[in-house]
Amino acid sequence: MNSEPTSLPYTDTKPVGASDFYFASNSTFRFIEQRLGMEGLRRYWHDLGTRYYAPVAERWKSGGLGAVATHWRDFFKAEPGADVEVEQAKSEVVLHVRTCPIIKHLRDNNRDIMSVFCQHCHFVSEAIAAPAGLCARVSGGNGSCTQRFGAALPPQDIEAITSCASPSPSITDTP
Amino acid sequence: MIGCYDFCGHYEWTFEWLREQGGHDLVLDYWENAIYRQSQTHATALILQKGFDGMREYWGHTLEHEAAGYAATEAPGVYRIDMHQCPSKGFLIRNGLVQFHDYCDHCMGWIGPLMRDAGFVIDHEHNHAGQCWWEIRSTSDQSAASGPGELAGDADVRLRADWQTPAIDHYDRAIHPDDKRPLP
Repeated sequence: MNSEPTSLPYTDTKPVGASDFYFASNSTFRFIEQRLGMEGLRRYWHDLGTRYYAPVAERWKSGGLGAVATHWRDFFKAEPGADVEVEQAKSEVVLHVRTCPIIKHLRDNNRDIMSVFCQHCHFVSEAIAAPAGLCARVSGGNGSCTQRFGAALPPQDIEAITSCASPSPSITDTP
Repeated sequence: MIGCYDFCGHYEWTFEWLREQGGHDLVLDYWENAIYRQSQTHATALILQKGFDGMREYWGHTLEHEAAGYAATEAPGVYRIDMHQCPSKGFLIRNGLVQFHDYCDHCMGWIGPLMRDAGFVIDHEHNHAGQCWWEIRSTSDQSAASGPGELAGDADVRLRADWQTPAIDHYDRAIHPDDKRPLP
């Protein structure tokens, strides 16, 4: 096992994941949308949050916002290329995602990203957060975004999640 | 966000979710069309264009990337992999993750159709304990799979004391996950 303590429920022997797996997540979303429709894809994201990530929900339920912040710090530490600041305030946790590792890797490798890709962050996280009495809100996307976790947040405006239909200049421009 | 650190966990979970939604055929469809045709285009490009050289290039990169414990053996007309510590199955075992009835089938699920399209067939066994071997030959090559140690020497996974498990799946000249026959 990775010797560094982590709050992540599933741990590996290597400290950071293999980025080429991002290709499969992108293809999985597209496949499910093609075979089962958008309703099926949202159901997949919801079930992933409530079933696969159930241990995360338990930790958030018992640990509150502190556990949410710790989770995301540990999570992004294990994702290659992530540049994310996790801010814990009194009533919410805010993720400032300056470089989304998955969008960057997909763009760097010229992969076609489905337009609704970034919505998964809302639907999966919302399903994880609900048992803890929390909700998850996303604004922005396509390479950088802000994610808020708290008990009393306005409803998610799905239009506030940026489409990935075209590359973000901030991701594709090279200095 | 869905991460790559625990990718094998949600990948395996997804197989069972798909099976619940659309049965075995939807899982096969997923491996062939989502994984082979869409996700693994980097492998496809290498192997369709370069054959054995492409296999060396693809697996050399990806198995190092995943920190696998493996050996690759090349001989005229055959490319062989002995997987001693599958990073993917190992992750599932260590974390106690079992949703789908045979996670190991996913490799044949996408590699089988790829090799079919590239003009190869596969001899293969996996023991469901993170160990397996693969021999890939041209479809026109009628050679049988090598015996233990014959091709890979000491690196042959079948020579391990812990190779024999109660459930070894065996494939001869296969191109599809349903080509398997469990060994008695």
